[in-house]
Amino acid sequence: MAEANPNSNPAVLETLGEEMVRIVAPVSACMLLVVLLVTALSSSSGGGLASIATIAYSDDSSDSLWDKLKGALLSSVSFVVLITLLTFLLVLLFYLRCIRFLKSYMALSSLVVLAFLGGEVFLLLISRFYVPVDVVTFSLLLFNFAVVGVLAVFLAKVPIMVNQGYLVIIGVLVAYWFTLLPEWTTWALLIAMSLYDLAAVLLPGGPLRLLVELAISRDEELPALVYEARPVEHLPGAGRRLWRERRDLASNSSSNSNNLEAGDPASQDTSLVIAEEGPSVSALTAPFLQQQLERHGEVDLEGIGLSSSGAIKLGLGDFIFYSVLVGRAALYDFMTVYACYLAIMAGLGITLLLLAFYRKALPALPVSIALGIIFYLLTRASLEVFMVQCSTNLLMF
Amino acid sequence: MTVAAGLGYVLISLGPALSLFVSVIAKKPFLILTLLASMLFWLISLIVLSGAWRGFLPLKSASWWPYVILIITSVGFQEATRLIFWKLYKKLEVILDAFAEEKFRSRLSWTDKMQIALAGGLGHGVAHAVFFCLSLLTPSFGPATFFVDRCSHMPLFLVSAIISLGFMIIHTFSMVIAFNAYAEGNKLNQITIPIIHILAAVMTLINLAPGGCAIGVPLLYIIGVVVLRHCWQMVWRKLTEQGNRQRNSSNIHVS
Repeated sequence: MAEANPNSNPAVLETLGEEMVRIVAPVSACMLLVVLLVTALSSSSGGGLASIATIAYSDDSSDSLWDKLKGALLSSVSFVVLITLLTFLLVLLFYLRCIRFLKSYMALSSLVVLAFLGGEVFLLLISRFYVPVDVVTFSLLLFNFAVVGVLAVFLAKVPIMVNQGYLVIIGVLVAYWFTLLPEWTTWALLIAMSLYDLAAVLLPGGPLRLLVELAISRDEELPALVYEARPVEHLPGAGRRLWRERRDLASNSSSNSNNLEAGDPASQDTSLVIAEEGPSVSALTAPFLQQQLERHGEVDLEGIGLSSSGAIKLGLGDFIFYSVLVGRAALYDFMTVYACYLAIMAGLGITLLLLAFYRKALPALPVSIALGIIFYLLTRASLEVFMVQCSTNLLMF
Repeated sequence: MTVAAGLGYVLISLGPALSLFVSVIAKKPFLILTLLASMLFWLISLIVLSGAWRGFLPLKSASWWPYVILIITSVGFQEATRLIFWKLYKKLEVILDAFAEEKFRSRLSWTDKMQIALAGGLGHGVAHAVFFCLSLLTPSFGPATFFVDRCSHMPLFLVSAIISLGFMIIHTFSMVIAFNAYAEGNKLNQITIPIIHILAAVMTLINLAPGGCAIGVPLLYIIGVVVLRHCWQMVWRKLTEQGNRQRNSSNIHVS
């Protein structure tokens, strides 16, 4: 007998949207860390970084507007061309089954990011906050930090929190480095990367789409930097598995049990999220969104569209570029930060809903970056004046 | 004045919101999403308002009537967005009920709906605090402070933090009352909420007068207390109603 019990089911509010929150939380953490880093270090950062993104144009504040625009476009287009070439190279290597090479390359580039970029950021922090630490201790700690990071992300079985934490840290470091670019170049780069993402995932000849199809046809996992949210557990008493175990099972393509009943592997939809680690210091990422769905026999959820057994994967590139946008907004003022944060969250939500609707690989960048840029411009143009006017007169509503 | 002072101002305006978040909302992912969505709504309404008013700003006049128009249009627009928020929520409720039926074989209880309303109101309140107060707090983390002529008793940061705390309370609980009023078709409450909002906003106009904030802020808090009490009475009434209904239906079953 089903009586109307006023305290019956908090379960609805507790289970719905859980996967989304498990993605929203690390993205927010990454953005928060980048904003903190940018505001703490912005006064002491020197200009003039010699880097790949400035091969075409290095900002000079005395240039006219048109020069800056041209230079920024040139920089970002060359960056995107480079990334396209590298992605095609990645597809080729994956096709030729050079998996070990790819994995060791990824591990090496994570090591470079953690050791060199991380070291540089830590040095800046130490000099900014006058932390008393000597060279030997610092190098020992940095070495440990970098090696454990590489192991956690790629090579060993570690608790999932460590893996996710290190992925977020890699995202933070790369995003911080990107915010050091000159302003126009940053915005041009964001727009260019969103367009590239859109093209690479959705066009039939796009490298990322090829990669996805290869991975699906071989039923293998890509060796890539991907943030995978912990799957929602439904069996009571199902303990937390070690992270690696689950991925190994997936790559063996045996019966893939995912803390739930074993779904039929053949009916697994895999759409993709990939972030690839590029050469040397610049981590290039081709981000898009993946959702691994497992169809139970019993419940096939329509309506909201997020499967309760789904684990959403988000490429590290998405983390990085969202944080770059917010970090660049932080260099202007905090109001733009809040506005851009809400815009990116809205874009992420829309993308996740589209993902649940279309159930294939989707680019995660375009919607969020577009909304973020729109909100940034609107805030700078009109909201800020309005707010300052009202608040300094203590008029609030 | 320092990082400590800056953090203090943040906690004054957002402390109760944080405790509400941790105790009620953090465990339920759907409520977190509702919070983010209502913050977004508030931000969009604010951006539209600022776009509409951009041509007239900055208001250089020392008189108070342009500000009155500003406030009344802004509050009116925000109440309209509250209505739109409610309509969207009704559509979502259908989907939520279907989901609950399928998975848990029961519908959304009214406590769930109250919690969603609370999360929505909290989103509005937090967005208010963030955009009116926090975004100006950046200088307060530095070595100095700032006083306004009209309210020279306290630093600007402290006054705006206190005001945004009051508004946070008003926004959060008036959303609960409003959702309940729309659901039950209670016309009286439906009208009361916009009136309270306008009243509270007009109270802040008192701050325009020199030394006025000593009167305006306590009045604002009186309104906040009124809203709280109204909300409490409404929830208590519903609780006892549901309790009686429970008892009656179980009596029928037994007999």
